[in-house]
Amino acid sequence: MKDCENISESMGRWLDGELSPAESESIRAHVAQCAACREAQRKLEKLQLALEGALMAESKSIEFEPFWRAVQLRIAEKRTWYEDALDWSRGLFTASRAAWAIPALIALLLAVASLESYFPGWRGGAGRNAFAAVDSIDAHGRNVALLREYDSKTTVIWLYEDQEGENETAEEPPPPGPAF
Amino acid sequence: MKLPKNLRRRVLLFSLLSFIVAAGRGAAQKQPQIVQVKIGTILASNKNDEFDAKLKGLENQLRVLKYRSYRLLKDESQNVPWQGSKVFEIPGGRSLMVALQEFQDNRIGLKVRLTEGQKPLLDTTVRIANRGNFILGGPPHEGGVLVLSISAVAQ
Repeated sequence: MKDCENISESMGRWLDGELSPAESESIRAHVAQCAACREAQRKLEKLQLALEGALMAESKSIEFEPFWRAVQLRIAEKRTWYEDALDWSRGLFTASRAAWAIPALIALLLAVASLESYFPGWRGGAGRNAFAAVDSIDAHGRNVALLREYDSKTTVIWLYEDQEGENETAEEPPPPGPAF
Repeated sequence: MKLPKNLRRRVLLFSLLSFIVAAGRGAAQKQPQIVQVKIGTILASNKNDEFDAKLKGLENQLRVLKYRSYRLLKDESQNVPWQGSKVFEIPGGRSLMVALQEFQDNRIGLKVRLTEGQKPLLDTTVRIANRGNFILGGPPHEGGVLVLSISAVAQ
């Protein structure tokens, strides 16, 4: 019974030759042994014949020349890239495509968001993230310098210990701080 | 809306993929139990042009400091438990206390305190990339200055 329902849904496309060879063969085999489907096929063929006849009769009175001229004009017409993009994007939002495109988009967004976990520092090559971020520094009254060097992704906290009076007793003064 | 069979299969497949990715993301973000903290203590000076071969991996970072000579004095690693702290002895009677604070976006938050005897020299809070480092320098030592490379690896 379920087969007959499926066959009935595909019958029109079968008669129009729109199915794959395997699908056509499957329907042909079913129709050959199912009286109800044979009857449905016969009715559809009859309907198609009637429609075809009516259309042919009607077409004799239709003036096709202006139609083809309009088609040729449309073909020759130069289209901008955004018109093409708009036409293409319209196709994306048909119900059947959206049904898989939405989960795919979610999966893609999750994957992109997860990349940082799986491949640390992937954003910006060697790593925007490779830099150390200094949240706070307390040098207890001493001078301190913070240096970030972009080529080597280096963060330096430099403590200047030679406060006034602190190293008065030192035998040899320490070298000055680095020339950043 | 009744979807054709193959379409339903695709929807299911992508939902499953989304779930796997989300679950993987959760797992990847899991907080580590232990972080290995490594302190490399380097003596930088202008006495000569010696560059310790053991510091090859840090050469680019050390060259930023513009000293002529770099020598590795001590290399020490300790496993620091989550929300715990460890103390590293630094030449010159100094010590460095490193405490773990957070792990987020593959970055490790460290609270670092440098002391000389009982006297605190510097307190800082830094977030470094997992397996990354930062440099803390300045304390004078043996005619040069001490440069500490502080790195952390989540286990």
